[in-house]
Amino acid sequence: MGFVLETPDTSPISQSLNHPISNLQSLDLQSLLLTMTPHAPSRRPFRWRPDQQWEGYLFILPSFAGFLVFIVLAVAMSLGISFSDWGLTGFKSFAGLRNYQQLLRDPLFWQASSNTVFYIVTIVPMQLALGLIMAVGLNQAIRGVTVYRLIYFMPVVTTIVAGAIVFRLLLATNGPVNNLLAATLGGLGIPLSAPNWLGSTQFSKWSVVILTLWKNTGFTMVVYLAALQGVPKELYDAAHTDGANAWQRFRHITLPLISPTTFFLFIFQMIGAFQLFTEPFVMTRGGPANSSLSVVQYIYLAAFRDIRMDKAAAMAWMLFIVIFAFTLFQNFMQKRWVYYESE
Amino acid sequence: MQLKRMMGIGVLVLVMALVLSACTGVAPQAAAPAGEQAAAGETTTITWAFWGSPEEAASHKMVADAFMAEHPEIQIEIWNQPWDDYFTKIQALWASGDTKVIPDVAFLWPTPRYAAEGVLENLDPYIEAAGYDLNDYWPGLLESAKYQGSVYGFPRDIEVNVIYYNKDMFDAAGVAYPSNDWTWDDFLAAAEKLTQKDANGMTTVYALAAEGGKWAKWVNQNGGAILDDYVNPSRCMLTDPASVAGIQFFADLMNNGYAMRDADLSQAGGDAAVFMSGQAAMILQNTSRVSAFNAAGMNYDVAPAPIPAGGKRWNGAGGAAWVMSSGSDNKDAAWTFLQWLQSNGGGETLYTERGEIFPALQSVANSPAFMTDQPPANKEAIITEAAASDVGGFGYFPEWDELSGSIIEPGLQTVWAGEADAASAAAAICAQADQFLADNGYPK
Repeated sequence: MGFVLETPDTSPISQSLNHPISNLQSLDLQSLLLTMTPHAPSRRPFRWRPDQQWEGYLFILPSFAGFLVFIVLAVAMSLGISFSDWGLTGFKSFAGLRNYQQLLRDPLFWQASSNTVFYIVTIVPMQLALGLIMAVGLNQAIRGVTVYRLIYFMPVVTTIVAGAIVFRLLLATNGPVNNLLAATLGGLGIPLSAPNWLGSTQFSKWSVVILTLWKNTGFTMVVYLAALQGVPKELYDAAHTDGANAWQRFRHITLPLISPTTFFLFIFQMIGAFQLFTEPFVMTRGGPANSSLSVVQYIYLAAFRDIRMDKAAAMAWMLFIVIFAFTLFQNFMQKRWVYYESE
Repeated sequence: MQLKRMMGIGVLVLVMALVLSACTGVAPQAAAPAGEQAAAGETTTITWAFWGSPEEAASHKMVADAFMAEHPEIQIEIWNQPWDDYFTKIQALWASGDTKVIPDVAFLWPTPRYAAEGVLENLDPYIEAAGYDLNDYWPGLLESAKYQGSVYGFPRDIEVNVIYYNKDMFDAAGVAYPSNDWTWDDFLAAAEKLTQKDANGMTTVYALAAEGGKWAKWVNQNGGAILDDYVNPSRCMLTDPASVAGIQFFADLMNNGYAMRDADLSQAGGDAAVFMSGQAAMILQNTSRVSAFNAAGMNYDVAPAPIPAGGKRWNGAGGAAWVMSSGSDNKDAAWTFLQWLQSNGGGETLYTERGEIFPALQSVANSPAFMTDQPPANKEAIITEAAASDVGGFGYFPEWDELSGSIIEPGLQTVWAGEADAASAAAAICAQADQFLADNGYPK
């Protein structure tokens, strides 16, 4: 249950906000994510030495105990729950794979999954591209650059619910966005009507995508800015001397050198998109007709509307397995496109 | 060095002690009532849980005070949460199994779901012992609080959906006020005159604003149904021609621009907002809007909902109920309170006088507590609809919320959005619903 309860809040974006932004520049991305690479020093097996300062363990005990109870135990329990018949008051009987089998036959689970895939394939690339464009733009010596950076970063620290309310007004059927669209389309003589962003099954997902991009792109921008500032200036000077134009310099120097950051952001945001909850929850409530329901939102509904903790736990584990597999795959694929200067 | 180490350990132990004492701090507080009880000798404390805004909580507080004045031997302790948090938090209390924190009496919906989980007390023995009169409830209402034939809760109020109409807008459009026996055809004729459209054919003033969720009224009025049985269903009935026609009637109101689409209505802030701002001449809603419209000084009245030719009057019988926890450690005191809450002259009367509810008890509805000289004038319309209350709005089995929330309502949203017609949406819904019922072992 703890695992399920926490899911809405575990989006990496919100976690990352607990750290001061200044830390981002010193983020050692490689060691953060790639402890599985052969470069990691082989660790000596743990051995108790009497001369060790044992108080150290005492100091980490409070947080370690919390970790054991609230993370390890909760995760282990959710695995157990997913194989049980489990209601409000707890264990009823052992269910084997029944919860998982039910899920695979549940059309709504597949709909929520396909919605989530839609979010991933739209949000992740768009966020990376927009974040990079903004970062490159704000990496120039222009007047008031700090103010622009602040403005673009502001949505990240804004309450999402307040943002969603504003976007609901903006995207209303007769709202400013549609009025502008209608005027533009009418002016160009295009016989299309402005979309019903929140009320139609075709566009509801897009309104969630728009809100998510607005909310999170600033974070991508800041991380990219840090990476751009780490690219040695000499390389540009040398390339310039060799006659490379701006695009060639960007394509052959900037992109490869910031590829570890791109990799980090890619994984980070893919996991975030897999776990999308707040955005559809506040924007569309998953509707209409479940057209914008995300998997994590369905987990929430199963747990707290339908009181099906077992089904919710099974879904959470399936989501975990998929995210884990994708991340492993990306980690494997990174050899093809991620460039580390040390190599 | 040694001293520093000792001090460090000392501080650590102190911190741990503080943390631990903070953890256990909850129990003594919760246990305090038991201590008071021992001290006073005879008072019993029960915990009373409900959701609601601060204004609603004030009403509950007033009711609790009135009860304690009559029953000094029972102390009421209030546990109040906003609607959004209420259910997850009360579920956590029940899941804890700790009788010290479990509320004795709670406000709840839907009752059968929780009764199936075993967290609610079966009230049948108490009702029998006390000779409590169940016949005073509106017809069909208690069904919503029953599980496997036993009563597990007392609905506090009944949702009676009536037509509210703006008299000024009817006067301006030259439309006669609705009669108590108007039909769908009368309604359409009025809607045609009340609706105002711009040059592009877009509606600027709607005849009706009704939440999509009100659709069951049209279906049941027309002789249709959602399920063949609402306690132990074996199949979905929305593909029945009478059901399809009921859904299509509502859909056509939206497709013709007479009624606001569901999504537009929620974007516009709900039916109360559009009614008060004059964007809609009528709304279909329960009696909860009365106090807001009276406070705004609106010139309005209510009428029964129009019924189709050859159809019947129907109102969905349901309302959130007061329940007793099976984990309550003061069941007798909890029953005393429950019975008082749900009595003419007790809680029902107080809530009704404050305009909080339309009472679940017929005797209270016909008493001066409801029959005031405040608007709306046509209170008979509300009594008429309430008397036509019946099952048919929702299922009374534990999986209903899941069936409704995951399959039926989302399926109908495509109709309210104008993306599907009633027949095809109903076919898709029933295919899924029948599968859902079979998967969950229905009929049992």
